[in-house]
Amino acid sequence: MVTAMALIVQLALNTLQAGSVYVLFALGLTLIFGVMGVVNFAHGQFFTLGALLTSVLVPALREAFGMGVALAFTFASAISIVAVLALAAVVYQFGFRHYLRDTVGSFILSVGLLLFLEGVFLWVFGGVPRVVPNIAPGELRVFGAAIELQRLVVFGIAVIITVLLYLMLAFTRFGRAIRATAEDAGAATLQGIRDKRTLLYGFMVGSFLSAASGCLTAPIAVITPAVGNDYLIKGFITIIIGGLGSVPGAIFGGLTIALIESVVGYYVDGTMATIGMFCVVALLLLIRPQGMLGHVQH
Amino acid sequence: MFNINHSVVLWNVALFAAAIVWLGVSEPSYLTQLVVWSAINAVLAAGMRFVLLIGETNMASGAIYGFAAYVTAIAVTNGFDVVPLVVVTAAIAAGVLGLLFGWVTLRVKGPYFMLIGFAFTEVVRLAYTRIDYVGGNSGMVGIYAPMSLDRWMPALCVGICYLLVSGFFVAEKSSFGLLMRAIRNNDKVVETLGVSALRVKLVCFCMAALAVGAAGAIHAYSYHVISPGDFSFLIPVYALAYAKVGGERHIVGSVIGAIFLTVVAQVVQGAGALQYVLFGGVIILTMLGVRGGLLDMLGWVACRRRRAGAQRIGLPKDRTSGELG
Repeated sequence: MVTAMALIVQLALNTLQAGSVYVLFALGLTLIFGVMGVVNFAHGQFFTLGALLTSVLVPALREAFGMGVALAFTFASAISIVAVLALAAVVYQFGFRHYLRDTVGSFILSVGLLLFLEGVFLWVFGGVPRVVPNIAPGELRVFGAAIELQRLVVFGIAVIITVLLYLMLAFTRFGRAIRATAEDAGAATLQGIRDKRTLLYGFMVGSFLSAASGCLTAPIAVITPAVGNDYLIKGFITIIIGGLGSVPGAIFGGLTIALIESVVGYYVDGTMATIGMFCVVALLLLIRPQGMLGHVQH
Repeated sequence: MFNINHSVVLWNVALFAAAIVWLGVSEPSYLTQLVVWSAINAVLAAGMRFVLLIGETNMASGAIYGFAAYVTAIAVTNGFDVVPLVVVTAAIAAGVLGLLFGWVTLRVKGPYFMLIGFAFTEVVRLAYTRIDYVGGNSGMVGIYAPMSLDRWMPALCVGICYLLVSGFFVAEKSSFGLLMRAIRNNDKVVETLGVSALRVKLVCFCMAALAVGAAGAIHAYSYHVISPGDFSFLIPVYALAYAKVGGERHIVGSVIGAIFLTVVAQVVQGAGALQYVLFGGVIILTMLGVRGGLLDMLGWVACRRRRAGAQRIGLPKDRTSGELG
């Protein structure tokens, strides 16, 4: 018999673990929108590439070099992130650079990229679901609730990346340049900020976050070439709840949808949880159209 | 004020009449089905473009389209077999759904409106999978028109789609269309004239929902089987692609884009993963290569041919210049 306390702790742990990955994914989306004014539907494909490459490379590295799972996962993640960043640089240079601040144009381009990349992934990796071996076997028990150790590791890494991103945006020269460009690109240029370079770096940071969340998802989920689409939907709901372009909003939104997913998923099921998320968004739009922590769009 | 180009109207009517006669006398075949699918997609693209005129991207059209298809399926499988009545009922149901959705969400605009529409389409699709009455994940089967209408269905479907696209054109050229364009430019200025921008947007959205709903009903009749997977976010995404690839400048661009991409989709169908690669590749190439879409490309080709023809007969250069706008 599960006690009420154990149940609450279990749901809280599930929320924090799932929410940490949603937050990373949504931070990338919101950062790219904030800096470039681009709603990037291909963001889910960067996530998928990160997850797919990790799931392919972990067994390959173990077999080739006899590495432990954790070490193989570290190397596989690093290689995957570099591959995603290379793809992101190509996509920016040949695609999005021509559609900056054009919401509809960039959206169609990103949709073309979504279809193109999904086809390429299916072609190259096949449709077979992939699983990464447990990177940290064992589980931790807190007040009667249990959490796998590997999920705790994923949560820890996600929190560290989020904190580092927050500190970078808040306190570094580069972070200030990104925030200034997001606020007013023209004024930022007048202040000596190289806007084109800042936009590219902003896009790369956003893509890095997507790739990192993909790598972190690989050990805790079944990976297919379509896995990014589910995260894309949740990512968009997250940034509507939090407010487009708002970093604290993405954190708040990510944790909110993870909470809904954990609670409704426990009492009903995952589908009803997604429907519940939409109901929350609809209610929120009636009360606060610009999202919880966003600005009114004039 | 309307500027009616009589030759365009005549060409339009002649082509339409020829298509209807051809569809009427032909036995239903793959080719006639392809024409019907192109016509349905043309309505989806024109509906998307109509909402783009107020500066918004309607990603909820997938939910509205699917809702109308399900209303049609429920009506037909319960014995209602008066096709026009079923199509009108499905369109009205879609219009009501559009009204409710628009009333809640049109308070926001730009990317917020786009993303909430995207989420709505996906959530409505998920909801179908949970409702046993509409077949859950398996969907609904047996959506057939009466046997007596079987031969005439392609002509009827294309006729309805033609009227819907024409309706969008007329609305765009009316004073209401001017109001929509003004709202896209600056809704605050329009409101200073005492016009409620929200109301105009809502009317525009409902008109698009009615037409997309009728297209959804035709979808159900033409495929005979529907399932939740048919109404994912790819519906509005494709509609937007048709409008952009064809050329957003004129409604004819939506029709050209819909026909072009429907044919491309059929050509690459069965190619497995390559289907996505080719379809996505066409969209990327069009967006990066021909920003004005196929319409501008056709205009460019016509301009070159005119220029080459004029040079052959020795006309001065200024009579032949016609840079694209």
